[in-house]
Amino acid sequence: MQISMILVWLWQVLVNKYTLSKRQVVNELSTFYSFLAGFLIALIIGSVILLIQDKSPSDTFSLMFKLSIGSVNSLSSSLNKATPLILAGLGIAIINTVKLWNIGAEGQIFMGAIGVNLIYINFQFSNSTSFIFILLVSSFLGGAFCILIPAVTKVLFGVNEIITTLLTNYIVIGLTIYLVNGPWKDPESLNFPAAAYVGKEVYLPNIFGKLSYGFLICMLLTAFAHYLKNNSVFGYEMRIAGGSEMTAIYAGINAKQKAFFAMLIGGGFAGLAGGVELLSQTHRVSTGISQGFGYTAIIVAAITGMRPIGIFLVGSLFGALSIGGSVIQTIGVSTYIADIIQASTLFGALIIQFFFNYQLKRVDDG
Amino acid sequence: MNNKFLETKNITKTFGKLKALNDVNFNLYRGKIHGLLGENGAGKSSLMNVLSGIYQPEKGSIYLDGQIQKILSPDIASQLGIGMVHQEFRLVESFSIKDNLTLSKSNIFKDNFFKSFKKYSEIFALNVNENEIISNLSVGEKQKIEIMKLIFNDSNIMLLDEPTAVLTPQETSQLRNSLVTLAEEDMKTIVLITHKLKEIKEFTEIVSVMKNGKMVAKDLQTSDVTDNQLIELMMGTVKRSTINKDNEIGQTKLKVENINFFDSVSNIKKLEEINFQIKAGEILGLAGVSGNGQVELANIISGIETIFEGKIIIDNNDVSNKGVRSRKKLNLSYIPENRLGVGLAPGVSVIDNSIVRDYFYTKLGPHISKKRTSNYLQSLIKQFSIKAPNPKAEISTLSGGNMQKLLMGRELVGNPDVIIASQPTRGLDVNAVDAIHNLLIDQRNKGSAIFLISEDLDELFKLSHRLIVIFEGKIVKSLNTVDANINDIGLAMAGVSE
Repeated sequence: MQISMILVWLWQVLVNKYTLSKRQVVNELSTFYSFLAGFLIALIIGSVILLIQDKSPSDTFSLMFKLSIGSVNSLSSSLNKATPLILAGLGIAIINTVKLWNIGAEGQIFMGAIGVNLIYINFQFSNSTSFIFILLVSSFLGGAFCILIPAVTKVLFGVNEIITTLLTNYIVIGLTIYLVNGPWKDPESLNFPAAAYVGKEVYLPNIFGKLSYGFLICMLLTAFAHYLKNNSVFGYEMRIAGGSEMTAIYAGINAKQKAFFAMLIGGGFAGLAGGVELLSQTHRVSTGISQGFGYTAIIVAAITGMRPIGIFLVGSLFGALSIGGSVIQTIGVSTYIADIIQASTLFGALIIQFFFNYQLKRVDDG
Repeated sequence: MNNKFLETKNITKTFGKLKALNDVNFNLYRGKIHGLLGENGAGKSSLMNVLSGIYQPEKGSIYLDGQIQKILSPDIASQLGIGMVHQEFRLVESFSIKDNLTLSKSNIFKDNFFKSFKKYSEIFALNVNENEIISNLSVGEKQKIEIMKLIFNDSNIMLLDEPTAVLTPQETSQLRNSLVTLAEEDMKTIVLITHKLKEIKEFTEIVSVMKNGKMVAKDLQTSDVTDNQLIELMMGTVKRSTINKDNEIGQTKLKVENINFFDSVSNIKKLEEINFQIKAGEILGLAGVSGNGQVELANIISGIETIFEGKIIIDNNDVSNKGVRSRKKLNLSYIPENRLGVGLAPGVSVIDNSIVRDYFYTKLGPHISKKRTSNYLQSLIKQFSIKAPNPKAEISTLSGGNMQKLLMGRELVGNPDVIIASQPTRGLDVNAVDAIHNLLIDQRNKGSAIFLISEDLDELFKLSHRLIVIFEGKIVKSLNTVDANINDIGLAMAGVSE
């Protein structure tokens, strides 16, 4: 009784007296500031968890720092790790231009890798550069194919794409398990379910050290996605269609068609992430193609407010965090500390972003 | 007539500067059907919302059976036996009829549901099983369930907001019979909000009229008043033309021939045999109460709605089978009545919204130049004196007047041959209204053919050369503004044919 009275009082004082209103002008760098603040909050949360475990946060973080970006070699590993995150994140951001959510990047990554292997085992090209190119294209098509059913059901029947893209993840991962245990199973992999390795001639070469050409592709596509979203006619039409389908129809823009192509392109980007990962890192199809990149990419895209260049930067940082997280096991700290930092950054950034977008105002006629 | 069942005294309700209800006195008598007549924005719905506890008035009191009552919420109103059927139904679409009817805790037919459902199904001529899901019902059937819901909640006062707007003529006469039965047998007190004089005459015994938030006449015996008297009360005085209409008139720019349109969703014929022409430099006004087919007609002319019978000819080009862009290329501009949502995309920046009409002209290949679009917006801001300090800000941060100026500017800057302006000044303050009117007059003088769709007779008389009146999808009257009689137009808008 007492508590409910207090709650009622709080409600009246806080909610009836104050209201949230959208700010007229939002600082253009607000997303960047909220990311920094969110990252700081995440480091504090991480430190608290480390302190509870009797580990020194400063030792842990400096070791993570040293082993993720302290040398050319470790930096290369971090950027290689970041590549699929960034590509999948770009795919999510492109689809979000029409205000749709792609939760299926994980499945699209697997489908991209499956696309590569399908072409690789069925066709042969003497020129390895053009073969690599063809394989990358097929990974793009694989990702696009993976999102085809969600895209078709969205534009024809308005089925919620969040659910359908999420569900395709389970289907595609199931398909992968079937392929690597059945038709594609490599007899030489003994009991480990995986397809055969692709030949060395189609490995994505390294630019220098361990840094793969995949990262270069990733840089180029970041620029492309930035252009597509912000400066192209297609991007403009996607923005209007995302704002209001009626306005799009009024302007002579086929809103459904824009949504459809945005979804296919975005799915293709995530598929490419799988293709690059296969050709540069794993070299074969297995259930280990993605370590949750498709889900982490959602965090990366959301933190940056769906901005391609932001995705590139935050994706790189998250790649470094993963590498750093995987090495701190040596001092007895769980690798999950990196996951906690990534997730807390999102929470922190979204909360701070909220206060950039809204302000508390007193109700006048209280 | 001295047993007032419900009485309101000096009800006042304001929204910002607007007085939606101004000292309103209103009476209801037990077992009668009452009509409440008035133009859009006269305050009818506001009054009903006060009675049903949705709005709290600043001033005034409500008496029920002589007892003063404070109706603070819809819940309290429902306990007092006051229920309302809104224009947008409030049914749980995925529930069955039975669940919807018995949902409320004040349901009085808990024990004998089937008997009562059967009884009222007969009264409403409703022929569906009580387990049918609401979303499978037709609009007319849903409405019957809405009214039945009030009966099941023991509402003795039933407020019906434009119940016939969604009904076919047969359903309307069926509704009349049901309501008469309810008033006579169950002693229900019913209020019918409507624009249509014919329904006031056919449905009601007592009628009250509102105008600009005031009750201008109450407790009139419907049988004693004439249509003309009601229209005069409803329209008040309309200002007659003050602008010069002797501008140069040119060639025919827009021809609309034999337009018929059947809405497949609601199964209602929305437009029937619409014919008119507009010449360069001419403003043709379309008078009518909202919802009589204006939006559909504007959408057909502008190319948004493509499935219809008839012909649209712009500048001697038949564009009937073509889309929005073909019309844009022939320099047609459309200012839709739904500013934010159709004309402008919410959630998108001011600058993106400013190039909706012309982006495919200014593009270079697949590229949109930042510099060009920014110059384009700046010239619009200057030419039409729009207050939009931050081009990257979201469109809804602009005021209503500035949004409309941006929309109008964007549509008028290309000096269009044909303009469809739908409710261009609705919801704007006096200064903004003047600015918008001047834009339209300028454009008329430059030789545009303008189709002005409005509910505001002042505006129509001020701007148009000729007027046509639409009612239930048909053009019921066509006349020159100079020799038009306001009452004739009011009667035509209210559906009274000579």
